[in-house]
Amino acid sequence: MRKFKINKNPKEKEPSAEQVKRYKDFASLSHQYERVTKRSGKRLYQDPKLFILLFLLGLIAFLIFLES
Amino acid sequence: MHLPFKTSPLFQRKKDIHSLPESEQIRLAKLDHRYFGVLYEKYFDPIYRFIFKRLGGDEAVAGDLAQQTFLKAMANLGKYEDRGLAFSSWLYRIAQNEVNLFFRGEKKTRFVELGERQLAGVIEEAELSANMSQEDQEKLVACINALEPEQTDLIELRFFQALSFKEIADIYNITEANAKMRIYRLLEKINKHWNQIV
Repeated sequence: MRKFKINKNPKEKEPSAEQVKRYKDFASLSHQYERVTKRSGKRLYQDPKLFILLFLLGLIAFLIFLES
Repeated sequence: MHLPFKTSPLFQRKKDIHSLPESEQIRLAKLDHRYFGVLYEKYFDPIYRFIFKRLGGDEAVAGDLAQQTFLKAMANLGKYEDRGLAFSSWLYRIAQNEVNLFFRGEKKTRFVELGERQLAGVIEEAELSANMSQEDQEKLVACINALEPEQTDLIELRFFQALSFKEIADIYNITEANAKMRIYRLLEKINKHWNQIV
């Protein structure tokens, strides 16, 4: 919550060029953006080990189906 | 060594992106977020100053909120459409929302200091007594603090941040006449309230 109060000698409200420069950092913003928008982990079919596992499970299911 | 990507139009454009019109810079930034850097360079200063003043001079929080503003702008750039509204107004609107969210999330009341000079505009436009004592000024500030947060924002933008009606209208996505009407109604309200307490 914000309230105003009167002050006879308020602090300087304009930031100096130095202050602005201190917080200007596009590299960090870009990095933050990539982190936020990056997909979490690989998709299942893109992981070779998981792909083989899924393939084997599918194959077993198919063989069981043929047997029955 | 031959680097094929160096001849790509996107790479060529990176070199002279500064000389492109803003609409083109925005279009490129929508394609690849790295091109957003040009817009960031151009608008970081005014957005940081705007937030800094709204916070009453808290430079660290202003820095965080400015970065947050640009992060949201980057993430939502695809939704931005040029409908005659300046890109800067869109950024100011995001910054305004970020500051409001910050104030809402604060558990303790945050006090923003005002000087006599900043109050002078309200005193003049609300047609209040020109020679106000310290006590009267405190009463006037109490009147402003008693307004709804959205109403206080309008008074702040116009008189404490010294924005034009056009700039305020762009932030709120309303017409200039509407912004003027809202602010003058608020001044009337302050005037009424003032006459009741004095």
